[in-house]
Amino acid sequence: MSDQIILLVEDSPDDVDLTMRALEKNNISNRIVVCPDGAVALDYLHGRGPDGVHYDNPLPQVVLLDLKLPKVDGLEVLKKVRAHKRTSLLPIVVLTSSKEEKDMVESYSLGANSYVRKPVSFEEFLEAVRQLGLYWLLLNQAPPLPDDE
Amino acid sequence: MAAKSRRRPGRARRNGAETARPAKTAKPRSPQREYADIFTHNPIPMWIFDLGSLRILAVNAAALRHYGYGEREFLGMTIKDIRSEEDAASLEHYMATARDTLNSAGLWRHRRKDGSTIDVEITSHTLHWRGHQARLVSANDITERLQAEARIRELNATLESQVRERTQQLESVNRELEAFSYSVSHDLRAPLRVIDGFSQALMEDYAGRLEGSGSKYLTRIRATTQRMGVLIDDLLTLARVSRRNVRRGDVDVSALAAEVVKELSEKEPAREVVTGIQSGMRAHADGGLVKIVLDNLIGNAWKFTSRTPAARIEVSTERYDGVIAFCVRDNGAGFDTQYTHKLFGAFQRLHAESEFTGTGIGLATVARVAALHGGRAWAEGETGKGAVFRFTLEEGRPDE
Repeated sequence: MSDQIILLVEDSPDDVDLTMRALEKNNISNRIVVCPDGAVALDYLHGRGPDGVHYDNPLPQVVLLDLKLPKVDGLEVLKKVRAHKRTSLLPIVVLTSSKEEKDMVESYSLGANSYVRKPVSFEEFLEAVRQLGLYWLLLNQAPPLPDDE
Repeated sequence: MAAKSRRRPGRARRNGAETARPAKTAKPRSPQREYADIFTHNPIPMWIFDLGSLRILAVNAAALRHYGYGEREFLGMTIKDIRSEEDAASLEHYMATARDTLNSAGLWRHRRKDGSTIDVEITSHTLHWRGHQARLVSANDITERLQAEARIRELNATLESQVRERTQQLESVNRELEAFSYSVSHDLRAPLRVIDGFSQALMEDYAGRLEGSGSKYLTRIRATTQRMGVLIDDLLTLARVSRRNVRRGDVDVSALAAEVVKELSEKEPAREVVTGIQSGMRAHADGGLVKIVLDNLIGNAWKFTSRTPAARIEVSTERYDGVIAFCVRDNGAGFDTQYTHKLFGAFQRLHAESEFTGTGIGLATVARVAALHGGRAWAEGETGKGAVFRFTLEEGRPDE
């Protein structure tokens, strides 16, 4: 299980640290790849390196996606990920501060698999991360990897 | 009464004599004269002109008055002379085509002797008159009416543009409000999470090195942070309620109330509260908004009975002003009646934070929801004797 990757798309270093801490506290020892903005996340997922070099990055078991991101925001990432053959079925959990109905509706209609609002209380956040780990890393059957293009 | 007071006292005495006296009339007028009077004394300006030469053959007193000519002068003119210059061309075209016996010839512009122009509505018909093939014209001056109409059109246009302008302003304010609550939702909560998270980390990782008050301070930081989180959420709910369009449907209020009670007792299973929810309560309202109201009112009752032994909460209906009012009644802390007017204002709190927690936004939200439905929310209470909060979801009909 722990060779599976979790892709964390999050621009705030504070939030990255707290999420890492929450994963650690829940004994989730998977490799975490952190992308500080939407553009980096898309490059990782679609194997694009600088100068057009193609990298064969392993696909994550699940993507934890913040919505408010510099350069390419979370909704745009969702749209592009779903449009791309390699990642069209990739499990994506939107993990955001926003309680806006609009964000929720748009996330789901763009193909998010889940929408979780980050609670203010760290204890509640710990619990949310625990359940997310349990569900997406253990319980959920990930879709098969697409054939190589 | 009015007729009596109008009667002059001097004439009252001669009243009978007056009607008895024979009318002092001259010799009877001939029927021809009487018909001629219909033309001569008609209040509408009229004239007759020869269809060939267009010369005026006869004119009545109203026309002379209105156009400002003497009779002799008018009879020396043709109808071209009273046309405004812009109408002259269309007159010739009209004369060439309109030979029917009766028509309502429409709107024309005429010129008076003093040079001023008037708008007239012409009705005319053809007749034989003293050996002439002629036309009888009546000219109804509608200048003032047209001016009034133009003014109304102008006012309407101004009003419309004002409404458009205001709507645009309102829309832009709404957009700003939306952007504001969006950024509140995102940006204000994020730092709170970080403060809470790292405070927790400090407590866990450095517990051994924090002296007694050190960890107490951290606990207080965390409690305050979470309270601010609740405050932001409540503010967002209030903002969302305010800009929401009411979507009415059939709402099972009893079921919603039971759901709220269930959520509350799941959160605090140790609390013992007797609840009574009237069955079959329904409303034609926005279910999502009614849920918010019940969350607040039952949540308040729950909170303010926390120090009451044998706590009791009842949800029922009563009739007020001809419509159904929903009531949430508790036997909790109540409130000081002299502050009743402050209850429904945002950020108004009647209890110290140390007694009962709260943000002071809940009842403002309740009042907003009731108002959005055309109803209202009000309260009764007494310190130590509990409180009753009532709300309606439609406009009152006090006469029924």
